[in-house]
Amino acid sequence: MFEHLDPRSPIPLYDQIATRIRSAVAAAELAPGDVLPSVRQLAKRLRVNPATVVQAYRELEREGFVEMRQGAGTFVREVGGARRKQARSEQAKRLVRALLKEAARVGLDGDEIAGALQRELGGTA
Amino acid sequence: MTYAIETRGVCRRLGKRFEIRDLNLGIPGGSIYGFLGPNGAGKTTTIRLILAQLRAQEGEITVLGESIPASIHRVLLRVGFVPERPHLYPGLTVDETLDYHSAFYPTWDGGRAENLVRGFGLDRSLRVARLSKGETGQLMVVLALAQTPELLVLDEATEGLDPVVRREILEALVDYVSQQDATVFISSHLVHELERVCDWIGFMDDGLMVADMPIKDFKEGIKRLRVVGAPATLEDPPFVLLSREAGDGVTEAELWVVRGWEAPMKSYVEGVGATLREVIDLDLEEGFVELLRTARAPKQ
Repeated sequence: MFEHLDPRSPIPLYDQIATRIRSAVAAAELAPGDVLPSVRQLAKRLRVNPATVVQAYRELEREGFVEMRQGAGTFVREVGGARRKQARSEQAKRLVRALLKEAARVGLDGDEIAGALQRELGGTA
Repeated sequence: MTYAIETRGVCRRLGKRFEIRDLNLGIPGGSIYGFLGPNGAGKTTTIRLILAQLRAQEGEITVLGESIPASIHRVLLRVGFVPERPHLYPGLTVDETLDYHSAFYPTWDGGRAENLVRGFGLDRSLRVARLSKGETGQLMVVLALAQTPELLVLDEATEGLDPVVRREILEALVDYVSQQDATVFISSHLVHELERVCDWIGFMDDGLMVADMPIKDFKEGIKRLRVVGAPATLEDPPFVLLSREAGDGVTEAELWVVRGWEAPMKSYVEGVGATLREVIDLDLEEGFVELLRTARAPKQ
């Protein structure tokens, strides 16, 4: 689940970790009641600062994806269909933004990208 | 903020040459602080000053709230140190080495030593002289962590070790700080390794601190810009222009490296009649190289 963490990316590591877990919840890879690795386990496995894992878990708790129970661990919460859909659409938006940034760098405009996207998706353009 | 290590105006000269100039360091308690710099920058000298292995001619040093060098003996009981060159008795076995070290530290945790030795797969009956370089490094880490230090100081501790061993050592460190509220001060020039784990970084070059800040601020604030049509001199830019050079030789764009960049500053660039083509993120290593280049450029 955390294979693609990139410490060199300008996106902070806590954000990358939170995004992975959010996506896993949205894709129902993680089910309500599932327990996340402890801070100690995950920090050690990813070789990141334990504070980074805590920050990721707090962020997810604030958003309602997980619940941190003192002494027991961090649990995935029941996430409604609308919330899951929203998480998926956020994920899609992030991918498109990255694509558009790269496109702007090489001087491609929106129409050219939209055309290519439609062709790749098998539509007609 | 309380500092685990604090230095004020520390200077050390050797003959006429400054090894360390006006060093003001503050290592926040509970942080994992990456102390970066090229070989010969003064990192090891700084660490030896902090641990009273060398004396400063000027300035004050405080470690864990105690004055150095006056209180060094008390402080050393609370500090785990992994030096660049291990100092172990070659004739002792791993077990005997652990026994010997445990006698010095009232906070020695035999269970932790046991777990680490097993985790690293060290042969307890082997003499230190027969250990590989990697195993010696691992043993040094076991010794430092088993004393349950409040402050861990590592001086290029993973230098020259293979990637597997380096990874195991970092895992052991992370595991330790997840359990104990300890501060880690780790010097290295292996920038990528520290990028994952540190929350603060300091850069030293030629005996001077070049930067010292949370890693997040460093990474957010330092950018490479592609700019077209800028005037030769910039009036009062809101950012620090570290370098400016012609781009790739193919396009007319210039490349600027700036520090303290924030998105609204785009309007400043446009205000001087230039076009901002692109803002490129730098990783820690690139940022580090740019900072050094600037620090070393001849002053005009």
